[in-house]
Formats: sequence, structure tokens, C-alpha cells
Amino acid sequence: MAFDIQGTSLSWSSPQAARQLVFLLLVMGAVLTPSSPSDIPSSSSTMHNNNWAVLVCTSRFWFNYRHMANTLSLYRTVKRLGIPDERIILMLADDMACNARNTYPAQVFNNENHQLNLYGDNVEVDYRGYEVTVENFLRVLIGRHESAVPRSKRLLSDEGSHVLLYMSGHGGDEFLKFQDSEELQSHDLSDVVKQMKEKHRFKELLIMVDTCQAATLFSQLHSPGVLAIGSSMKGQNAYSHHLDSDIGVSVVDRFTFYTLAFFEKLNMYSNASLGSLFNSYNPNLLMSTAFCRMDLYQRPLHEVPVTNFFGSVMKTIHTESSYKLVSSAPGVESSHDLHSVGADRLTLEAEADVVKQIDSPEKRAVKIKRKKFDQQSLGDGNGHQQTKSNKSLVKVIKGREDAEASPFSKALLTRKLFTFSKISLIMELFGGKFFRTTCMIL
Amino acid sequence: MAEISKSDPLNPNPNPPEIASSVRRTTEPGRKRLFVTLSVFFSFLVGLPFLLKSTEIYRSPLPFSSIESLSLRLRSEPPAPPCRLQAVFLRPGGGGGTADQLARLISDEVDKSIGSIPSRGSCGRNYALSVTVDSGNGACERSGDGESGPCYWPCGGIDVLELSNEDGIVDELLDSALGRRGQCLGTGGKIYTVVVAGVEGEEGLRTVLGKHRHAWLVGKVGESDAVLLITKIFVNFFLNGGREEDMAPGKGEFVPVGLDGSVVLSFSLLNANPNDWVYDWDFQMIDDVLLAPVVEALAPIANITTESQVLYHTPKSSISFWDGNLGGNIFSIKDLPFFVNANEWHLDTSIAAAGRSKILHFVVYIPSRNECPLLLQLPNGHISKTNGFISPMWGGVIVWNPHSCFADSQGKHFVRRPIALEDLQKIFQILVGQLRLLFGFKSSYISDDNVDMIQFLTSEKGFTEWELDALYRYHACYNLASCATTLESLSKLVQSLPRMIVMDEIGKQVKYSLEAAGLAQNNTHLGIYNASAAASLQARSLAEDAFFHPSIMSVSYSSLEHYFSIYMPFFAPVSLHLILALVKELARYRRERAKYSSFVAEHAKAS
Repeated sequence: MAFDIQGTSLSWSSPQAARQLVFLLLVMGAVLTPSSPSDIPSSSSTMHNNNWAVLVCTSRFWFNYRHMANTLSLYRTVKRLGIPDERIILMLADDMACNARNTYPAQVFNNENHQLNLYGDNVEVDYRGYEVTVENFLRVLIGRHESAVPRSKRLLSDEGSHVLLYMSGHGGDEFLKFQDSEELQSHDLSDVVKQMKEKHRFKELLIMVDTCQAATLFSQLHSPGVLAIGSSMKGQNAYSHHLDSDIGVSVVDRFTFYTLAFFEKLNMYSNASLGSLFNSYNPNLLMSTAFCRMDLYQRPLHEVPVTNFFGSVMKTIHTESSYKLVSSAPGVESSHDLHSVGADRLTLEAEADVVKQIDSPEKRAVKIKRKKFDQQSLGDGNGHQQTKSNKSLVKVIKGREDAEASPFSKALLTRKLFTFSKISLIMELFGGKFFRTTCMIL
Repeated sequence: MAEISKSDPLNPNPNPPEIASSVRRTTEPGRKRLFVTLSVFFSFLVGLPFLLKSTEIYRSPLPFSSIESLSLRLRSEPPAPPCRLQAVFLRPGGGGGTADQLARLISDEVDKSIGSIPSRGSCGRNYALSVTVDSGNGACERSGDGESGPCYWPCGGIDVLELSNEDGIVDELLDSALGRRGQCLGTGGKIYTVVVAGVEGEEGLRTVLGKHRHAWLVGKVGESDAVLLITKIFVNFFLNGGREEDMAPGKGEFVPVGLDGSVVLSFSLLNANPNDWVYDWDFQMIDDVLLAPVVEALAPIANITTESQVLYHTPKSSISFWDGNLGGNIFSIKDLPFFVNANEWHLDTSIAAAGRSKILHFVVYIPSRNECPLLLQLPNGHISKTNGFISPMWGGVIVWNPHSCFADSQGKHFVRRPIALEDLQKIFQILVGQLRLLFGFKSSYISDDNVDMIQFLTSEKGFTEWELDALYRYHACYNLASCATTLESLSKLVQSLPRMIVMDEIGKQVKYSLEAAGLAQNNTHLGIYNASAAASLQARSLAEDAFFHPSIMSVSYSSLEHYFSIYMPFFAPVSLHLILALVKELARYRRERAKYSSFVAEHAKAS
């Protein structure tokens, strides 16, 4: 059976395919069509006003010490150049510092001179250990989280954001292994980037990958505004830089090592360009060819300062004047008293009356508001907070409460989910394993 | 069974050996083998629907066609809410052009000043203009069909001399004269009024823009000048809300509202070095007295909550230097991007802010003793009046210097000094200016001398009514567009992934989002600005909820290819044999039948 899964496009290809189920074998060929190029216009009009970084170490286990050191070094660099912790999503297996084999407990070094402890103060790991999965990684990028996930674990970027995505681990032709149990495929990455672009989650995205055959991971990307750089071409390996005989393993990879060497000379005011960073990679030192994909990127690289991605930019506007709130109109202040929390309630009720008087078309519109009033005044503990939130007039229409699934539909959903999980289990058994073997062979 | 019993008689009649049978056949070929093969094959086929049913993926039906029509509609004709403009000329002595002439003049001018493409949220060309000439003594002339309503100008209601009063009083007077706070019953948008009062005795012209929906010109003014001024007020302020075109280069730049439709206003007081001094504030008072009206005014465009905190040990990260001439430590405009020390200022500590909501930080920074007083120097060398700046979509920072930088420091650690009430008020007024900037308005018009000497009255809400109208209109249009694109993306995603589960909840959210969007469009059309902003906010946040529903994530793991790769190993070997057997049996039967028919034909010829 020829399962040419390497060549299939994962998701965007054929919408009618479900109907063709009967032509089982024919379809197998049909779905091999390449993804259609993206037609989303770039939102170049927006100003660049903030920076985010997503740093991922996709390996675990002691012998992959260097990948964690790579990621932590990058973390330290972007933090030094000004990206705050709240705008860095750090995903780390985090099993090195306290590993029994670590002769320097609670410390991580990226150099055998042991000058710099990367695992010092203020390292905020957002996703740790077994949380570093392909699913979580994709969720972070797209922003589809369970509602309980805190803000610190979310990539809250917007259309003015420059996002740096750094990944280090083991990879191969069009895939990147996550903790030896899953793979991130180049299609997954391109799909997710496409959805990010569609939802204006970045203005520009720099993907930096330090793995073997890193360049292959970018082959499916087709969203504008994306710049990608990998440590090695297809068929090349990315090597570690040096071995620390005290620790007993390699502590840093070549590509990251020379990247860091470049950044060590810079501070947050510096305006070294991305072009100079890319030119600094010497194939003889790297023992691989750094590959940069820039056909999706509009700006010339020698004009883009590295601090556009590795540092933090804050667009500021001076406030020229204050706004005099004291109105000259007589009798305005009287309604607001220092301790007139109750008066707020009165105003609210008065407003509700106004609402009632409005004629029919408007009535429909404001109905939502009224409903909210009623609901909140029922369970109101007279506290100031509640009164205040009363004022935020419109929050939910009744529909959203309905959307919280009735017990019946919930049961239905669970059943569906169960079937689904069964399928994915089987898929794991067959498809998943198959994937892996194909990838490894290729 | 019938088949078997029928074929039984054939058995006694033994078939000739294989070689002979390949040549001719004397009996009709039996259908037993064919039947058995077919029955197995068909039972297999019968099982197929059950398999498909059992592996079916639940997809809540989404209204793709309505999504498409919504976005088509929004794209072909962007919503332009209606506005009604009214110019009133008070001419006690009579004379001058008629109302119709003036109306034509003004509408020509307005058409000229409005660009061909109206900016988002502006009424654009969707306005109705009426001119009233009130000559006093009940003599009143209206342009057009003489539409008069409770909120149009009541003729003879106001004497010219009354307009020479103090601005605030005139404002309230006009407000009461023009119906209940300018809120007109009926549809067609809010009415904006400019009153021109020609007072002979007075020298010069006084133009005032009130905090409600009207402006007035008092003094000696020629007709053509008046027309130009009226046009300017209509177009720049009433139609566009004073928002400048270059203020909003990118869409969404000045819409600091979270994807779930909420905004958290987070106020932080930073004591850079508490060893020098510790300041505290009575935020509850600010919240109750000053902030409440602002939050209330902004309620239709976002679900706003406020919170505050006091932080210690929060040095700034940019550098300042001492300047003896100016008597303070100076930091300049180009240092501002590095001012916020994100690693030490733990501003984002909110527990109320849920995942996708937006936090706007307002930071009051109190410098330490060795950098006090800390002054912001503008590029022209002057010292900033506000000592503050904003960062769009992030919030604002104010540097507040204590009155005396030589305070006692030793021994009295952590004596909290409250910031005085008047200082707090000043700080808060700057904060409101920053809030206005963040929403795309000017921080205030007071310092602005080049706006043709127009006086602006301010509202205790932080935004005047005509500004709020413009804000509501802008947000309604922005939210609708954003809702449509989100729903479109979702429908594209769902249609491109036939193996994706679509939960009922998503279907419901999409449905309600479309309903709210319809409502918002309707309200926009009718000119009910605040309701349309509120409904569009709903539509947008529901659409975002649907798009970002966490269940959609499992997609990448369940493509059609996976489906085949799961079931192929089970069914391919079996179906291969079945099909092969069927083909073989059919071929055999036809061959045998051909032989038999040739035998029959031969036999018939022989006999």
C-alpha cells in the first residue's frame, strides 16, 4: 500500500472530499493536491507597536541538555534586549536543572567555562515538562485555549505585533519532534501561521529553528509577513558546538552559539540589521548551511534592525494636555457625591426608564440591556463592585447562556468525543506509528 | 435453497471432464456460486453505511450562506449611519438669504469637504440638512418641506441676548430648548445643531462647541463666513467626532477593546524607591466620583471594569540627566520607548482579566529622590505640561513629582503619604486625556489654538456627546466588519476540513452572532448609535468565541487522510478479495452461459 503521507496536504486541500468517500482509492490521489496560495492581504498599514517571543525547546531527557541551554540562552537574550517576561512564552521540558546527573544542581550552562548560569533568577517557564506538546504549541500560536488558561500562558499579540518563534530540538524532513512522542509537521506549522495571519495575530513573524534539516520545516509556509531562518538545509545535520566534560554532554548547538555570539555585542539601543545577523553565519563554522526563506517578507533585511524581533519596541505618543473634567455647567457635580454608591443605582434605574420610553425599533435594540439589568439586580449584594459592573451595560445576550449546552446535548457531545477519541487512539496505533516510521526513514 | 434444489437434478447428470466442458455445455449453468458471491458482497455493502454512520463526525450545521451574505453586504455597502444637521440663524431684524438658499449653500460646502470615501464611522454623505431662519416674534422660516419636530428648533424659543451668557449656561439652555438632551424620538440619527446669532453690538465672533450636540456662533458674522464655519463644525466635529484621519492609520489601532468585548482599566501607582518616600492614593474616591461617569459613557463600546494597585521598587529603565537650567532631571521624547521597565513593573497582575480581554494600563510613576523632579522634555526644548505619554493599545504613563524633593528620609520608613485631592484630580485629568488619545481623540482642545478660535466645552464624562456619538458609530462599523471577517474565516476553516467536529455550541454562537450583527446593522441604519455599538460588540465577541472555540484544535489530528489510513488496513484486504471473487464469478458465469447458448443454438440447428 502506498501511503504517501509525506506528500499529502493536511487540511486545506479538498472540501468536497467527503462526498467522494465511495471512490476510496481515487480520493487517495485526489487529496495530494498542493495547498492553494494564500490571498490574504498583508496589513502593512498598522504600526509595529509591540513584541512577543515564543521560545520552544522540543526535547527532553538528559542527553538533550543543549536544546534546553539553547532555548534558555535565547530567552536570556531577548529579555536582556527588552522583551518583558509577560510577552515571552517559554516552553521547556525543564528536566535538566534538577536532573540527578547534573553536576551543577539547579544550574544550566551554555558554555564549558561556566561563566553564565542560564537558570538563574526570574526564569518564567510558561509550559513545562509534559505540557510541551504539539497541541499546546499550536494552541499558543492560534490562541484557541480553554477559558481557564491564564493570560501568562497566552500569546496575546495583535496586528501590530512582531513575533519571534524560536524552536530547538530534533527534526527531519518537514517535521520536528516534540519530546520523542509527537511531531510537528511543516503543514501544521503553515496552517497555524495562516490562521494567525487571518486573525491578525502578528504583523511580522520571524521563525528561527535550530534542528537538522530545519529548512524543510518552512517549505509549506505561504503567509505574507513571515521570515524564516533555519540552521540547516535539507539533508544536512545541525551539529552541537562543544562538549562540556564536567557536565558530560554537549551544551550548545552551533547555530544558536553563533547567534548568541552575534547578540552578545548588542544592547537594546543598537540597530544592527537582520541582514548582518544572517550574513554572520559562516557555513564552515556551522558545519551546515543556514537557510533563510525571505520570499514572503517584504522589507529588505539590511534595513530591519534585529531589535525589531529580538528587542522590544514601544510606540509612544506624548500626551499634550489634560482634559478638564470640571464642567462649567451649574448643578452637574451635585449628582456625584463621595459616598453616593446608592445614587448609582438610582441613575441606573432612571436609565432603564428612559429605555422604556423609546419607541419600538429602538426598544428591540435595548432589550438586551434591560435583560442584563434585571439579571444583575436579582443577585446583587449591594456591594460597590456589583453596582459598578451593572454599569457595563451590555455583556451577554441570552444566547450565550443557552450556548452553555443543555445536559442532553452535552451527553451527545461526550459520546461524540468518545468516538472521536477512539478513532484517534486507533489512529495513533496505525497512522501515528506509520507517520513516524515514514519520517524517520525519509 | 430453491437454487440448490433446482440445481440438484443436475448433479446426477455428471458434467463431462474439464477438457470437454471447456468446449461445450449441454445444461444451463447454475447460479448458485454467483448468488453466494453476490450475497456476501451485498452484505458487505449493506454494512458500509453502518460503518460510515459509526465513524461519522458530528458537525453542527453552520449558516454558511448567511455569513457570506453578511460579509458581501458589508463589503458592497459599508454601513453609514445617518445624521441630521440643523443650522439655525437668529436674525431679529430679518434680512439676508432665505432658508432654502442657505441650505443649498451649506450642503454644497459640506459635500465639498467630505472626501469621496468617508472614514469609518462617519456619517459620510448620509446626512439630512435643514436650515431654520428665526426672525423673532414668531416669524420663522424653515428650509425644505419645513419639517418640524420636538427636537428641531423651537421658533422664538430663545432670545438672541440669552446667547451672550456664560458658555455653560447657554449650553444647558440650548440643550433644554432642543428637546430632551437632544435625544430625539423617531429615527434618522441624532440632530446636530449650529445656532448663528447675529448680534450687532458685539465686536468679533465667538464660536462655542457645547458638550451636547450643538454649537453656537455669537457676534458679527457675514453670511458666507457663517456658512464656512458651520460646514467646518458639521464636518470636522459633528460628523467625524474631531477624529483626525491620520490618527487612525491602521484599522484597530485605536480600538483597544479585547476580543471578548471587555476592557480592564488598570491603574497603578508606582513608588520607584520606597526608601525615599511612599505615596498612596484614595483610589476608591477616584473610582466613585471621577471615573464612574467615564466608564458609564463608554459602556456601549466595551464591558469595562476597573482596578488599581500600588507597587514599590519600580525603577524606570531609561536614563535621565540633570539639567540645572530647567531645574530637574530631564528625559526626552526619544527615551520614551525605553521608559517602561517591563521586567520590574509587574503591571499585569489582574485576576479579573480573563484570557482574551484587553488591559489598558495607566501608570502614575513617582520618581525616587535622586531623580526628582523628573521632567519630560519635548523636541522643541520645552517641558511637557502633562509629563505623560501613551502607547497605543497598551495604556499611558504619567510622571508625578512630589511637591518637595527634599523630604525627610531617615528613620521614617514607610510612612504612607496620601496624594492630595487636588493633585489626584490633576493626575486624573491627564489620565482622561490619555484615555481619549487611546480611543483616537485629541487629549483635549483647550491648548489647541489653531482651530479657528473655537471654544470647546468639556463634559464630566470625559467625552462630549457628539464625540461619544462618533465613537459609537466608529465602533459599530469596526465591530461589524471584524465580526464578518471572523465568521468568514470560520466558515472557510470549517468547509475546508470535512473531518472536523463542529460542536453545537459553535453553531449557536455563530447563529447569535449573526442575529446580533443583523440587529446592529438595523440600528445603524436607523441611527441609534449606542444600541448599534452594543449589538455589534456582541456580534463581534460571539464570533470570536466561535472562532477561538477550544474544540476546533483537534482538527490537525483528524484529516481525511488519517481516516483512510485507519480503515484501509481493515477493509482493503477484504474488499480486494470480494471484488476479485465477484469479477471472477461473473466472468465464469458469462463464459458458461455463452457456451450453453451456443450449444442450444447448435442443438436447434441440428434438430
